[in-house]
Amino acid sequence: MSDYISRADLLSWLEKVSQSRDLVAPVKIEDLTLFQKVERVEDIVFDPGNTDLSPKEFFFPKSEVLFYVDRSDGRVELVPAEVEQETVIFGIRPCDAKGIAVLDLPYLEEPADALYRQHREKTTLVGLSCVSACPECFCTSMGTTPDDASNVDIMLTEVEEGFIVQVVTEKGKALLPEGLLSSKEVSPPAAPSVASVPSEGIAEKMHQVFDSPYWDRLADRCLHCNVCSYVCPTCYCFDVRDLRSGGRVERVRSWESCQSPGFTKIAGGYDPRAAKGPRLRQRFAHKLLYFVEKFGVTHCVGCGRCVRSCPVNIDIREVIQDVQGLGVKSEA
Amino acid sequence: MNATEQIVAKARELLESGTVECVIGYERATDGVNARPLFVYQAEEAGKLIFDQTCAHNLAKYLLNRKGKATAIVAKPCDVRAVNLLINEHQVERDKVLIIGVVCPGMVETKWGRVSEKLRQACELCREHTPVVYDFLVGEPGDEEAAVEYPDVARMEALAIEERRAFWEKQFSRCIRCYACRQACPGCYCSECFAERLDPLWVGIRIAPSESWIWNTMRAFHLAGRCIGCNQCERVCPMNIPLSLLNRKLEKETLELFGYRAGVDAETPAPFATFRKDEKLEVGE
Amino acid sequence: MAVGHEPRIVGFLCNWCSYAGADVAGTSRITYPPNIRIIRVPCSGRVDPLLIVKSFQMGADGVLVAGCHPGDCHYSEGNYHARRRLAVLRPFLEYLGIERERLRVEWVSASEGRRFSQVVSSFTEQLRKLEPRKGAEVEVSS
Repeated sequence: MSDYISRADLLSWLEKVSQSRDLVAPVKIEDLTLFQKVERVEDIVFDPGNTDLSPKEFFFPKSEVLFYVDRSDGRVELVPAEVEQETVIFGIRPCDAKGIAVLDLPYLEEPADALYRQHREKTTLVGLSCVSACPECFCTSMGTTPDDASNVDIMLTEVEEGFIVQVVTEKGKALLPEGLLSSKEVSPPAAPSVASVPSEGIAEKMHQVFDSPYWDRLADRCLHCNVCSYVCPTCYCFDVRDLRSGGRVERVRSWESCQSPGFTKIAGGYDPRAAKGPRLRQRFAHKLLYFVEKFGVTHCVGCGRCVRSCPVNIDIREVIQDVQGLGVKSEA
Repeated sequence: MNATEQIVAKARELLESGTVECVIGYERATDGVNARPLFVYQAEEAGKLIFDQTCAHNLAKYLLNRKGKATAIVAKPCDVRAVNLLINEHQVERDKVLIIGVVCPGMVETKWGRVSEKLRQACELCREHTPVVYDFLVGEPGDEEAAVEYPDVARMEALAIEERRAFWEKQFSRCIRCYACRQACPGCYCSECFAERLDPLWVGIRIAPSESWIWNTMRAFHLAGRCIGCNQCERVCPMNIPLSLLNRKLEKETLELFGYRAGVDAETPAPFATFRKDEKLEVGE
Repeated sequence: MAVGHEPRIVGFLCNWCSYAGADVAGTSRITYPPNIRIIRVPCSGRVDPLLIVKSFQMGADGVLVAGCHPGDCHYSEGNYHARRRLAVLRPFLEYLGIERERLRVEWVSASEGRRFSQVVSSFTEQLRKLEPRKGAEVEVSS
């Protein structure tokens, strides 16, 4: 016996939720599928597969005002931004939910990022497990599974005509009104099988092949277009500037990418990662080595977005395979 | 021999003889159906090269990373015009580039893991199937049709001005300023892009509709009279913004006003690099 | 239709001809509307299309570019280049949704004070008939 909700009841519950909170869910915009604030619950798409951009922007927005400078009454005061609105993200896949948990590691490490923490506290995650796997997904090699409920507040699993509901946290429980769920004699389907990549021991291997000419060759075709970082659920680099707007000064933080030419340019004009090889190597070294050394998990959740969107097919699955197969420098 | 076989044979020959250090072409991507760029440095690797209707990438961009080094490049007619553009603007030396020109059947619409039979829009509208210049030609040159048409631009021009304004506002609101368009474009190679300047600050780091508006419109304008219509910008845009509609409008204007098409040769100065004292241009005097 | 709104015009005037012409208007006490904010540049050829587009992004109702008459450029050729750029920019802006009339190009010599004032007056009137443009107040960075 499982907790169950029909699709119709789900949509009317979400409708109710959207009246007091921001409801964010996957919708179709032209031929893209994106997480957006939903105006009508009928717009929510339940297609297999994932959105084109990850939902990280609801915790780490594309652009965010950190504080503004108030100069009224002859004082100068820095007024920090605050997250006021409660949000519910519906339809987040286990890989993306794991992505948020991965972002927690740098952003909630003390001293925590104040705005990120507020977004986290004010957001409830209603997950949707995967009943089929995309050919390019490899979540099971990156520390999660298609039915992993450990990083959401409520997990839904699609069954005939409705969803099995798993209430995971107190926050999730608080969102569900009494009597919303019924009991049904249905068990969740087996999780789909997901292609794997040889991620075992990848950090150590990355360390060993750091100086290999492999990276220059791989970077030959890289355009440094930044798309991989922007679609990734775990990439978190940003740039900060003070900008004037509407008569006041604001400190703004926006997405950046380590692949951008000039990302590492420093005062004086020197750029330690001016060459393409080291710049591209940085991406994989961060994801598969440095982040692992610091936080114990890979900086990748196997969602497959970078694989699908790279215009020149730099494929992290292939890179992991290649790196595992590269000769080890003899320890003399 | 088909196109792939000819290219493989030529690449092998060029590398074995030491005529070039590198052949830039295409190989199969990891999804098994699309293509991706390939840099071949050893003759033994030449067998990986392919050529088919999924080879949509403009490889001319990579010549900018190989300045002064003898390189062969597999180039479709649009790619060859990009090479001409770069030679014209002194970014690439003609005698360091060996053009393996390909008579092009047009590239097809592709997505990850899926190849359609429908031609890409840029290829649908293209009227030249034989490169204007090459060192070796793969394929048989055909009869070229002369007239270049812009039905897509004409459709936009026919809309009411408020409709166009609303259309562009909607399109640019999706822009995430990843700058993939700039990175993929062979005509964008400034060591400091105007978007990176802090003083004057033309485009701030804020990812917001009006910043994206100025980014996209001015990048297009910087390519006025220079854009060769390869459409890489639109192909790589992760948010599906129809950038070709901007560039092709400018292509149409510069063709009508100055009779100029970018990249047709490597000598004629671009419209904004020159002028005629006696010309009558409608500037609203 | 916001009848009677005060259009805001940004004017890029070349130092040698049109700015001097505007100066003559001033010293001769020939009035012209205060709607124009004048920016002096060395030559109309210095007017980067970015300056014009940025002015529109920040909410200008109209932009005037004024230079020496073709053939009389103080730097010989600057205005020829300006002429080409602006001939392409005007239809492009219209394509983006900014009316062609909002970008005005005039050749004004150093002695044409009266003409300058007429240009500004007619431009202001023309813009008054169009909808006021909303500047992107919140989003613009500077």
